[in-house]
Amino acid sequence: MKKNFIKISLLSAFSTVLMFLEFPFPFFPHFLKFDFSDIPAVIGAFALGPMAGVAIELLKNIFHGILASSTAFIGELANFTVGAVFVLISGTIYKFKKSKKGAYLSLSIATFVMASAATALNYFIFLPLYETILGFKIENIIQMSSKFNTFITDLKSLVLISIFPFNLIKGIIISVIVILIYKKLSPLLHK
Amino acid sequence: MKFIGSLTIGQYVPIDSTIHSLDPRTKLLGLILFMTLLFVYPFLEIYFFYLIFLHIILYLSNISYRVIWNGLKPIMLLILLTAFFNLFFTQGEEVLWIITREGIKNSILFSLRIYLLIFSSLLLTFTTSPLRLTDSIEFFMKPLKKLKVPVEEISLMLVIALRFIPTIINEIDRLIKAQKSRGVNFEKGNIIQRIKKLIPVFIPLFISFFKRADELAEAMESRAYQGGAKRTKRVKLKFKRRDYVSFILVILLFIITHIIYIYV
Repeated sequence: MKKNFIKISLLSAFSTVLMFLEFPFPFFPHFLKFDFSDIPAVIGAFALGPMAGVAIELLKNIFHGILASSTAFIGELANFTVGAVFVLISGTIYKFKKSKKGAYLSLSIATFVMASAATALNYFIFLPLYETILGFKIENIIQMSSKFNTFITDLKSLVLISIFPFNLIKGIIISVIVILIYKKLSPLLHK
Repeated sequence: MKFIGSLTIGQYVPIDSTIHSLDPRTKLLGLILFMTLLFVYPFLEIYFFYLIFLHIILYLSNISYRVIWNGLKPIMLLILLTAFFNLFFTQGEEVLWIITREGIKNSILFSLRIYLLIFSSLLLTFTTSPLRLTDSIEFFMKPLKKLKVPVEEISLMLVIALRFIPTIINEIDRLIKAQKSRGVNFEKGNIIQRIKKLIPVFIPLFISFFKRADELAEAMESRAYQGGAKRTKRVKLKFKRRDYVSFILVILLFIITHIIYIYV
């Protein structure tokens, strides 16, 4: 039990460092940033249970909040909820099916659910929150995004054409790396 | 992808000043109240008053404006875009071409709001060490204990993680250099090739973390550490006279804000 706490802290420290190495993704508006910080969280969820993954996501965002928040904590809130959905689902499915097949299945379901959740949450909660708190009008975000992708004309097309595929791609990349790493790590984790 | 070398995490400036020596809880509460006031009273006159107020605090904190400016740079684009869009795309009484009176007002108001928000939170992180901030977060989370949230464990994890962040940065740097010396170019190739190059960096990292965690757990166990037991701290948080003075000043700030609001 004690060991798990320390493992969670080390994984969240790693996750925090990775979060600072964010970079914009080609073909997407630049406020959608890609980072690898979910990888330690998913590894933690696989090795120590889904709640460990959620804890890593929480700690990572607390750190990003205290160390370098530039969006008055909304960005951190959004990152936490979306990341928590991803690790909770992948960790829970893997818990009941601890095999290679289980890992593939859990990560594909988690990727799809995460992308849908991110889309819905951004449409109903986070983008309106940005608008009211930072005074950053949604129409401006739409206009900015339409430079990158001419199909974006309103909020619905913004979330469907940019936020949904972005999170889908993000989930797929994270899943591929996790599978590649986890295969090599599993003898150590199940010791 | 730019890698690690120049990465600095945390912005604490370790010097001595009135603001630095305030209790971190005072500063955190003050920041939360200030942000609330920003949203409750969205008026230009009040924002200008806050601008002066924050610069007085900056002066008291002995931090040069250039340091703050470095922290503000990343969001300058956001501020400029906000100003630009509000200036040209706000409906209302036209003054010059398509620029409206409301547009000018909104563009100053909203860009000033972002500026003030970031400025105030930078003031907190520049003058408070992350460790003390973590202590104060633990203090404010205490009521959650009644809801069975493991507050002590969370704060212990925060402290351990905080201690290991620099170690991890060094380790990533070392592994990347090791790969580079074997001829790996991280900046070349398409996305799939680049991801493949990251795998030999990630795997040894994870292995070393799990080994380190075992070692640390053993070290703690051999020193008879127990999770639930009441822990004592080397440096205790304590409200001093200057904290009470700052509380009075914050209340005064609220009153002045309301007076300006009534008269304009």
